[in-house]
Amino acid sequence: MRRWTWGILLLALGVPVTAAWAVKKDEKLYVKARNTRVLKSAVPTADVVAVLQPGQQVTWKGADPKNAQWHQVTEPGGKPGYVFQTNLSTKPPNMELVAKDGKTRAIDPAAFVSSGAAVKALSPGAEKYGNEKGGDYKVAVAQIKTLEGLALKVTPVEIDKHVKQAGLFPVVAPNTKLGTQAKGGK
Amino acid sequence: MRSRMGVLVAAGLGLCLTSCAQVTKTLKAANLGSDVDKVVAATEKVQSCDKLKVEPAIQEEYALGSALAIHWAQRGGGLMLAGPAEQGLNTYVNTVGRNLAMQSPRPELRWTFGVLKDAEHFNALSAPAGYVFVTRGLLQGVDNEAQLAGVLAHEIAHVVLKHALNQYVSVKVSKCKLATGATAIASIGASMLLDASQLDGRLDLDANTGLMGEMVEGTVEAFGKGNRRDEELAADALAVELLLSAGYDPGAYSLLLGKTTGDGGLWANHPSKKDRQAQIDRLVQERREATDPLARVDVASLQRPALPAAFAIVGPGKKSTGVAKDAK
Repeated sequence: MRRWTWGILLLALGVPVTAAWAVKKDEKLYVKARNTRVLKSAVPTADVVAVLQPGQQVTWKGADPKNAQWHQVTEPGGKPGYVFQTNLSTKPPNMELVAKDGKTRAIDPAAFVSSGAAVKALSPGAEKYGNEKGGDYKVAVAQIKTLEGLALKVTPVEIDKHVKQAGLFPVVAPNTKLGTQAKGGK
Repeated sequence: MRSRMGVLVAAGLGLCLTSCAQVTKTLKAANLGSDVDKVVAATEKVQSCDKLKVEPAIQEEYALGSALAIHWAQRGGGLMLAGPAEQGLNTYVNTVGRNLAMQSPRPELRWTFGVLKDAEHFNALSAPAGYVFVTRGLLQGVDNEAQLAGVLAHEIAHVVLKHALNQYVSVKVSKCKLATGATAIASIGASMLLDASQLDGRLDLDANTGLMGEMVEGTVEAFGKGNRRDEELAADALAVELLLSAGYDPGAYSLLLGKTTGDGGLWANHPSKKDRQAQIDRLVQERREATDPLARVDVASLQRPALPAAFAIVGPGKKSTGVAKDAK
């Protein structure tokens, strides 16, 4: 039965058609996670061919026949490799709206990082607002600043270490280094 | 005269709730005199308030989110940060949360996760710009990391989907419309809102703490009504995607929802826990049975990791997890 006939049949039956996931060989897919590794083979400890960032596109070649969680792709520079399944998406990450010089524009995650707008701490106005309210609010200001310091120390290196210990998926790589991975895959 | 003017203004603004442009056009065409001209002017101001219905830029989101985070920390009795053990707990929650957030559609926000001292309530909250908080009471009801990840993923989803930000925009518009009324009390915030409605609709909250206070406290008040049913279900749906992406079993999150006693209750707009669990089960089932290689999930590879030693500081769990509350 042809694909469109199936589509009509599923619609008629009220079954949701998961078109959002439909992908064909040689179509472009987006990388969704920070530090997405393209590896030489379909094993998590393989050599790193490229490290991509959210919003970059790869050409999809298909799932690895031996391990369907790894997908063969061609990275933007043309090198072939394997990416973990959940690093890939048919949809791009959200654009961020940034105001500069009296104008507002939507930018992709990479431009967002390089614009400096991604560097956030408690906003100066909010800090002043909380301190002026005094009491528990002033205490909250100091605590959130401490918390932000703690959060900032949780980098992809710490995340990768935890993911390995917990047996989770290797989605966020610890760094952007290419070539042979350090012992233990770090 | 004053009362006649008041009636006209009330009628004009009241009608504006349905078709402002049409009311203004009709009144102008009728050319009924100076009182009506004032009504026309007032209705035009109300119309201009709709220009505030724009998505805030990231700077406005940071300012709003920061101020809301201060409110959530204050309401939660402060943050658990006393000593290395409590700080270690926050580091762990940030590790779980930031891993999920870096796989979300807003991977580059500076996400911050924190534990509130509140041991009485089973609660999780978030604020725009990437602030997520859980109460100590909630952590006491969590059995494994997949359940914690489910709660954090749900709050990440609210931030990604900009539910609180949309509510803030509604507050901006309603405050602007109030400021245009005949009996409106002039305030710095009101005049700045009216100014913004003549420009691009965006506010510099950092530049004026009075305006920030007015807008943030209005948004906090609006949160009292809770999230809409469709927002809750959308946040759960994205949470399932994030859990599957990271390798957690969404069934654990569903089990946690099942343990709560909340079923709408005070949060009249909330979907029931049965509806939420049914949606989670359906989404996982769809992904398990998907024929598309990109969508198909091997459920056997999903994990429910044990909680680490750092979690002991939250204290013993309770038999009942209480009413599940959630604010954006």
